[in-house]
Amino acid sequence: MAEEYAVQMKGITKVYPNGIAANQNVDFFVKKGEIHALMGENGAGKSTLVKMLFGLEQPTSGEIIVNGKKLNLSSPNVAIANGIGMVHQHFMLVPSLTVAENMVLGMVPKKSGLFIDRKKAVEITEEFSKKFNLPVDPNAKVMDIPVGMKQKVEILKALVRGAKILILDEPTAVLTTQETAELFKELINLKNQGYTIIFISHKLNEIMQITDRMTILRSGHSMGVYNTSDVTPEKISRLMVGRDVVLKVQKERAKPGEEVLRVRDLEYVNEWGKKMLDKVSFSVRRGEILGIAGVESNGQKELVDMLFNLNTPNAGTVTVNGESILGLSQRKIRSKGVSLVPEDRMLYGIAGAASIQENLISDRCGDKKLNKGLLFDMKKIREEADQLIDEYTVLCKSQNQRVDNLSGGNIQKVVVAREFSNNPSLIIADQPTRGIDVGAEEFIHNKLVELSRSGIAVLLVSADLNEVMELSDSLIVMYGGRICAYFEDTSELNDEIMGEYMLGLKEQSPEQIRRVCHE
Amino acid sequence: MNKKRKMIFSLVRGLTAILIALLVAALLIFVSANGDGIAEKLSQTGGAMKKLLLGPLLKNKGGISVKNISDVFAAMIPIIFTGLGTCVMFSANQFNLGTEGGVMLGAFVAALVAIYCPLPPVVLPVVAILLGAIAVGITMLIPAVLKARLGVSEMVNSLMLNYVIMYFIKYLLNSHLADKSKGQIMTYEIQPHAALPQLINNGSKLSWGFVVALIFVVLVALFMYRTRWGYAIRMIGINKDFAMYSGMKVGAIIILSQVIGGLLAGMGGGIEMLGRYNTFNWTGLPGYGWTGITVAILAGNNPLFVPLAAFFMSYLNKGCSLMSTYCGVPAQLIDILQAVIFVFFAAEQFLSGYRQKLVVKSTQEELSRIAEQEAAASKVEVK
Repeated sequence: MAEEYAVQMKGITKVYPNGIAANQNVDFFVKKGEIHALMGENGAGKSTLVKMLFGLEQPTSGEIIVNGKKLNLSSPNVAIANGIGMVHQHFMLVPSLTVAENMVLGMVPKKSGLFIDRKKAVEITEEFSKKFNLPVDPNAKVMDIPVGMKQKVEILKALVRGAKILILDEPTAVLTTQETAELFKELINLKNQGYTIIFISHKLNEIMQITDRMTILRSGHSMGVYNTSDVTPEKISRLMVGRDVVLKVQKERAKPGEEVLRVRDLEYVNEWGKKMLDKVSFSVRRGEILGIAGVESNGQKELVDMLFNLNTPNAGTVTVNGESILGLSQRKIRSKGVSLVPEDRMLYGIAGAASIQENLISDRCGDKKLNKGLLFDMKKIREEADQLIDEYTVLCKSQNQRVDNLSGGNIQKVVVAREFSNNPSLIIADQPTRGIDVGAEEFIHNKLVELSRSGIAVLLVSADLNEVMELSDSLIVMYGGRICAYFEDTSELNDEIMGEYMLGLKEQSPEQIRRVCHE
Repeated sequence: MNKKRKMIFSLVRGLTAILIALLVAALLIFVSANGDGIAEKLSQTGGAMKKLLLGPLLKNKGGISVKNISDVFAAMIPIIFTGLGTCVMFSANQFNLGTEGGVMLGAFVAALVAIYCPLPPVVLPVVAILLGAIAVGITMLIPAVLKARLGVSEMVNSLMLNYVIMYFIKYLLNSHLADKSKGQIMTYEIQPHAALPQLINNGSKLSWGFVVALIFVVLVALFMYRTRWGYAIRMIGINKDFAMYSGMKVGAIIILSQVIGGLLAGMGGGIEMLGRYNTFNWTGLPGYGWTGITVAILAGNNPLFVPLAAFFMSYLNKGCSLMSTYCGVPAQLIDILQAVIFVFFAAEQFLSGYRQKLVVKSTQEELSRIAEQEAAASKVEVK
């Protein structure tokens, strides 16, 4: 009977050096030739579990049996040798090398024992590409190919190394609807050839679409194994979060006021000479949420960087309440009432080794009300931190706890608590709920709506199509550094229309797009 | 992990590091002992180790030695200051190694003021020490501004600066300021009322500078943990991008941290000068800066732990010098000893397996406690 299973992880417990028990006595059994979903909110322990299967982490206790053989997976090399391959959420490719070169990295075919046999590398790539019906361009540099193709390269890389069990960590997080559909076709194709696929996701509809069975994790515990055909999305959602999640955002119609943020003809050419922003113009008014949709790396990141002076544009103007903010220090930009929830919360959003309290006061540490002469007024600071922790429901033992010991969702709540509470007139929220649990996501969404209805201008940048369509009052789509569409009302939009604009298949006329300037 | 377990771990780790270092030391002494036969070598090693460990406390003929103990305290004064200065700079992630030259410059400027300025008692030493400190603070602007404005490595710069300072002082001393009537290179004597009063008059040179040093431990700790500037310094040290994004003046704070480091090192130099010497006769770097770096790292950049670390280093130094005086063990051994202790302290993964065990234990206890609480809560509901 044991032969039926490709992977058996029994009684797995993992305690990290910071004391977080990411997995507690988890059983995870995957049958041969199935697509098995591993589901759970962020921080539920999905990544930890598969990291142990791929040899990146070692379990504190429990055993791992692959194809009936008990293994000590001390490193990814051992995992690869045993036919396990992993496609990481963030691609592990060398951008400056070609697809074929990436494919053979670490197992390079040699010519006369010394030189890299590039032709052979290309041949290998083409052979596997054809065999598994995963079309890639072997000679293209990885940095030039689209995200969807990068993922194919990652999958092929694992297959070339002889993987029979594929782990895919949130493979659809960066893909468009169309690319996702394509990926699913490929995965089913692989399944039909006898491959076993472990699919990590927290998107319900995807799981329902392609998986055979699923294991659900909740805060480190397994909530059981289910046949996909036996469960409803509502049940999964209950098992994942322990309650029914209302995924709809409740909001009244926006009553936009005067213009707050005004961006005109912003242009930026990056250090490799690629035009990342091309005459970008738009305005955000009081009391409205303007969404920016688009596949990642189509200029959104650059745009946000310009608005907060993390980068300098080549041309264009940016004003907030009529005053130019281009080139001002972050301190001055903040004093003009601009707040930013940064895309990369670990880089900009927090100082990981500092306490929650210290992270909550970073933008206001010089305020009169928190200082008594030369010294901090510790009582006031503690009160302020307590009040924010309370209002934003940050789950923690005390405000003196290190912030990087919190889960992703709670870290984001710390960032959001700070950024939303400094009397902003403009909030720039860049991927505000990426990779966080549903509960925190819902909370942040409601808070954003509440703030916008109280008269704050909100600019929302998100690669999560659902989020940007649900939350925004009106919406622009970016493709190739340009605004390619503007939708004044988001209620009649759907994935398909958006997908066409996001992939650059369609573009509105300049007049239609110009309406977002409200002139 | 809870606080108690953390303390236990730190203690076990520290003691193990010291124990290993002592074993290495014993082995080296045993090898280098010049007795015949193993028995003789062993007894030599035992004697030397006793001197090293207990020498700083005891008289040569037995009994507690106040002189030795006050020597240990006196030697702590300059390294407390350099340790504090290094703490401030390292907290901001500024690896400025200029405290070494800073001490020398601070001492030199303080000496000049004490020799030539016609100021009344009390005012004179205070002004001398402050001017010494300010001179070093200003000098530290060189690596600091270069780092903040041009991104030049402050480590390389400050390291080289030590030698620039040393040779500049030697030039001034040799060519212009030396007391030609003396057989050695030294300045004229300082005015007697510039000398710092001693706490104990037993030749240890344990001056009131020791008290000042302890006061500065508290002041620097307050600065680092209770003011917005100290806060900014620590945040920049943890995550510079976060600090910038939060609206802190990163460049200015980087400069500030190094200037404060310089001020503290200079003050240490001035106090050492007026507390211990009556003329400036240093012809090389004093070594207090290097020890200060060790002290700061041992203290984990926490100013409050600096006196402990300084005591440890100072005690070890005294023990080694006694050992080399009375037992014929080479004085160089202390460097090896310090290095071994240092390696084990600084090695983050040292005893990490033991730490992981403690972590797992703590976490499991906590989880079972939570489970009990939940069980109790659900019982109440059922009722």
